[in-house]
Amino acid sequence: MTTQQTSLPRQRAFLVDVERCIGCFTCAMACKNYYHQETGVVWRQLYPLDEAIYPHRERAFFSLACNHCENPACLNACPVKAYEKREDGVVVHHQDRCIGCGNCIRSCPYGAPRYNPVLKKAEKCSLCHERLDAGEQPACVQSCPVRALRLVDIAALSTADAANAVQYPAGYPEMPQVNPSTRFIMPRTPRVVRR
Amino acid sequence: MQNIELPLVLFTVLSQAAVGMALLLAVRSCGCAGGACAATPTTAGTAGTGGNAPGSRTEWLTATIVMGVALLASLFHLGHPEGAVRTLAHLEKAWLSREILAFGAFAALLAVAAVTGKAGAALRGAAALVGLAALYTSGMTYAPPAMPALHNAAPLGFFLLSALLLGASFGSWFAGEGSQPMLRAVLLGSLAAALAVYVIVPCVWASGGTVMQMTARAWLASPLYWARLVLGIVVPLVVMIRSPRIPRWMGPLVLLGELAGRAVFFGATVHAAMNLGIPY
Repeated sequence: MTTQQTSLPRQRAFLVDVERCIGCFTCAMACKNYYHQETGVVWRQLYPLDEAIYPHRERAFFSLACNHCENPACLNACPVKAYEKREDGVVVHHQDRCIGCGNCIRSCPYGAPRYNPVLKKAEKCSLCHERLDAGEQPACVQSCPVRALRLVDIAALSTADAANAVQYPAGYPEMPQVNPSTRFIMPRTPRVVRR
Repeated sequence: MQNIELPLVLFTVLSQAAVGMALLLAVRSCGCAGGACAATPTTAGTAGTGGNAPGSRTEWLTATIVMGVALLASLFHLGHPEGAVRTLAHLEKAWLSREILAFGAFAALLAVAAVTGKAGAALRGAAALVGLAALYTSGMTYAPPAMPALHNAAPLGFFLLSALLLGASFGSWFAGEGSQPMLRAVLLGSLAAALAVYVIVPCVWASGGTVMQMTARAWLASPLYWARLVLGIVVPLVVMIRSPRIPRWMGPLVLLGELAGRAVFFGATVHAAMNLGIPY
């Protein structure tokens, strides 16, 4: 479980606390409610950890959206410059420039860009950048009832977060060439109570 | 199985056929420079460009039409084909932009040769080199980090073999008698190499990481993979071992095999995101 540093002065990112997450899908629904994506198009999804990774009766989940990578595969693959990496590290997709070639969808190892069959264009989580600019939290972060999802700056993580955060947990593709910014706090082994 | 991406299947296979034709035409012309091909009749019954230079106008025109159909097919892959011209906007980073530029230049060279009907050594050499460069950009475009099985030199190898197989098969329609042994040798060698590559590569994937293993299982479970192996490689290989020259029906048979193989390439290769939450 290695963790790469970011070379950027600022890199906003999601911190997913898997220990706190109860798999309620509120984050995914908040995203859906806020952006009203087409049927079948999801920007945030919950993935239950396989029993080979978390072998307990209690389940654990990864809540994943775009990872706003330091060197985004989507941005590098897009032939029409529909992607932009902002100074705060957020990777924004400008849908007005997209021609629907699907190259970003094929290139992102984490499946963040999705195809909108109605608009015939790609789209993805842009970390609610309009809300960030207005001083608000992303819809998913704001909605989480157990504070399992947080917005952090990984160029300036707190000591506690830096000590606990993992970049490539089991079940999450290790792609150092793109350097994804999402960090995870892994669940503890459940305490067995014997009767 | 994912979407087989039919427009991309047609674009890649047909563009590689055009590259193969141009490449082997340039090789043939080198072989004929010493007069080896002089005064030999063309099997297609078309007039040569004069002298001992191979490559009739019909041959250049055929390659141009094949490349044109490939470019036209690629438009159907876009959600908004009217924006296709903007794909050249990201040449500094995007391999797809470079691919479109390279194939555009290649198509232009083919068209010049077809229209003028006088493809000199410089034009033949330029078309072959630009075609090879375009093939390289294709190999990079379809080797994304999201597909661990293909994020390597495999796509470039597949595409180069496709170009040689199709270029030799269809090139034999137009080549003079003097060039037929060379084209037969190229086809025979490429078929043997393709057989080895298409059997060994899935086995290598089967010994790799989780997503590579899933890709190997998906390829081996696909009827298209076996159709490609049998119809596109094994049958032509057996025929070519027994035959002193390339039969005229070999081109369409190899083309069918290549189309089936490319459908597997796009449809059965597993994306890393299909494995989230599962041991990687």
